Amino acid sequence: MLAYIGRRISIALLILFGSTYLTYQLAAYSGDPLAGIRESQDPKKEQIMAELTKFYQLDVPPPARYFLWLQKALGFATGTPDFGTSAIMRLPVIDQIAEAIPVTIRLVTAATILAIVLGITFGVLSAIRQYSRLDYSLTFLSFLLYSLPIFWVAVMLKEYMAIQFNLFLVDPKINLVANGITSALLAVVLAGFVSGTRRRVLITLVSSFAIFMSLFYVLSLTNWFRTPGLGIWGVAFLGLATSVGLTHVFAGLHNRKALYAGIASVAVGVAVYQPFGTIVNETGNFGILMLMGALMLSVSYFVGYFFSKIDKGPIIRSSMLSAFFVALFTVADRAMQAWPEYYRLSDGKPVQVDGSYNIAMKSNDFWVNNLDIVTHLILPTTALTLISFAGYLRYSRASVLEVLGMDYIRTARAKGVPEREVILRHALRNSMIPLTTLIAFDIAGIVGGAIITERVFSWKGMGSLANDAIVSQDLNLLMGTFSITAFLAVMATLAADLIYTALDPRIRIRK
Amino acid sequence: MKNDSKKSKKNSQVAVASEVGFEEVKTQGLSQSQIIRRKFFSHKPAVAGLIFMILFTIFVYSAAGIHLGSDDAKITIHGWWQFSHEDILDPGPCADGCPSSVHPMGQLPNGRDYFAQVTRGSEISLMVMVVIGLLGGVIGTVVGAVSGFFGGIIDAIMMRITDFIITVPSILIGAVIGYRMGNLGVLYLAIFLGLFSWTGLTRLVRGEFLSLREREFVDAARVAGASNTRIIFKHILPNSIGVIIVSTTLLLSSSILVETGLSFLGFGVQAPDVSLGVLINTHQGEFLYAPWLFWWPGVIIVLIALSINFIGDGLRDAFDPRQKKQIKRKEFLAKSSTRDAVNKS
Repeated sequence: MLAYIGRRISIALLILFGSTYLTYQLAAYSGDPLAGIRESQDPKKEQIMAELTKFYQLDVPPPARYFLWLQKALGFATGTPDFGTSAIMRLPVIDQIAEAIPVTIRLVTAATILAIVLGITFGVLSAIRQYSRLDYSLTFLSFLLYSLPIFWVAVMLKEYMAIQFNLFLVDPKINLVANGITSALLAVVLAGFVSGTRRRVLITLVSSFAIFMSLFYVLSLTNWFRTPGLGIWGVAFLGLATSVGLTHVFAGLHNRKALYAGIASVAVGVAVYQPFGTIVNETGNFGILMLMGALMLSVSYFVGYFFSKIDKGPIIRSSMLSAFFVALFTVADRAMQAWPEYYRLSDGKPVQVDGSYNIAMKSNDFWVNNLDIVTHLILPTTALTLISFAGYLRYSRASVLEVLGMDYIRTARAKGVPEREVILRHALRNSMIPLTTLIAFDIAGIVGGAIITERVFSWKGMGSLANDAIVSQDLNLLMGTFSITAFLAVMATLAADLIYTALDPRIRIRK
Repeated sequence: MKNDSKKSKKNSQVAVASEVGFEEVKTQGLSQSQIIRRKFFSHKPAVAGLIFMILFTIFVYSAAGIHLGSDDAKITIHGWWQFSHEDILDPGPCADGCPSSVHPMGQLPNGRDYFAQVTRGSEISLMVMVVIGLLGGVIGTVVGAVSGFFGGIIDAIMMRITDFIITVPSILIGAVIGYRMGNLGVLYLAIFLGLFSWTGLTRLVRGEFLSLREREFVDAARVAGASNTRIIFKHILPNSIGVIIVSTTLLLSSSILVETGLSFLGFGVQAPDVSLGVLINTHQGEFLYAPWLFWWPGVIIVLIALSINFIGDGLRDAFDPRQKKQIKRKEFLAKSSTRDAVNKS
């Protein structure tokens, strides 16, 4: 095994060497870095050109200059990796990259997680209801999303999700017609998930329409969109509903112990609602939030653990999921309380179109500052999620369908395993193995940045660095961003192969 | 039962019922290509996509005309549309350039006719898409076939080369080539993009060849004395044509997004050429007061990519022998109830 990994790593290094060499040559021969100065009218033109030539060693031909670059980048000269100085910013490339990586990670993490979770959920649903109305709608949706150019979606999102929504927030009253249309659309979507007789679908359609109508009416009447909040009862109700729903999916409502464990976790969450508020009001920071979240999850683990002596798995799962969502609602509720203050400071433009944060935001409040970050994230996250959601949906659907046709699924059904267990324990676990490859590549791609998304929403991440480097012929900057992306891509291939062998015992490494 | 006999009347003859009491159905044989064609044409979205692509291509090329060659030696066949994308015209009946009878898609602020721009842009985007798809398809198939068939050291080397190409992000290569050597013309951009976009297809074809070469019919051919070339072209390739065609279609639909994305960033197609991505990039700022400039190219990109994806889906269904024609729930229930009735009687 070790020998195999060693061999793979040495091949990976060779590949990296080859691809960086190729890129260096392509970039170096594709244009003249001194073109801008050559055409200028500066009297000291010759002198500047000579200086630049010396500084960037332009007198050395590119095939050889690459090795000078490599020697510095590997840190042979100074002991630390040195990617040189960028020509546009006159800053060390490595500092610029160190600044850009966190921005990019913040941009893409939420979108990637959302796309994976939603894509797999809907993919599995689509597969187990193959050829149903839901399956056809999801298939069409995924094809449509596959075909959307992200820059086009982004411009539309800017208009309809930011500018129009901000205008709506000036006087957030929903008139009856808009309410009717929105509720009808939501009701149709919801009814699409219901299977069974026409009567059942119709009941869902009508009742959910009525519920949405009255909900929006009340929200509009109480000016909720300007002063949002859930309150302790809202948190309790939403927590309970999620808990029951999740138990229904993952354990079945007949599993009373799982149901009660979930409800108990929700009760714990509601009980700490008040103390939580007091603690975060005094010291609001991420450490406290993380600590309280971990505490909540461990408490719910023990709640699930002590609820039953046998078959603890589903019960613990149910109680921990409930606890997670109650905690999420509590935090969301606290963040919503900071909304009016944030709205005041954002000059009536709460959903932001450009950049990763508002420089002009003057607030010491933890919640207001984070709301600022979240509102900047909304648009790019939506765009990126929409685009990569489709891929996960297609892959997981195909994978689940393939596994459902296997003999061991038939065996499981034949020996009387309930359908829920067949899907959760036999089908789902096995069908997720091929997806690890996709996820590994996606995570490696994260740092490479989403060039187009960063450009449209003016984020200054890795993608925008690569963009600037190409536009201004900045060889060092280009090579810096590129080698990191390539390194991660190579490592992802290796990681994907290793994870695959670990998960799937049928695949063995050739000795 | 009713359904069955209806179907069988079409392409088979119902033979005389035998003494045992059930019908003996004699079906005429269908060749593989007939089965595939029939399956494909029963996939409605795919047929719609195919029809759209054919009509759209004819429409665009006949409207904008055909422009070949570089600036020095230009071959131009004018299309039926009265304006060219480079004509600078006087403002039409609508002062702010909105769509009118003379300019059905509106006019640019500098007087150019937008219909001519969009058709010319679609022409270029389609051309780039086809070149990338064909190049990527051919290289991917050859590399995948060779490395899957021969295995061993050849496979190892080929796959490492593939890994090497994967690490070179096509968007970066396209940017360097398209932006810096943009004056070479659109065709070169398409060729370079094609040279770097075959990796995904290679992996699929290699996998297919790896599993097919272990099959009995390959052994049989080898025992009969067939050469490697013959085995590859006559025995394995026809069996893996499904995978190849399907992934080439998907490559086509992704390459139109790559081209428009690059052009949107300003690295792909360069002025004075236009492409759908260039048009969106130029006019995204005018979304508020001239939305038609933004909507047309976007809708066309979506329609092209969507149709090709549907064609790919239809082809996948048609080529996949495991994919049986779906049984509708009602038909299934009807069938099982008649079966029950027969059993009881």
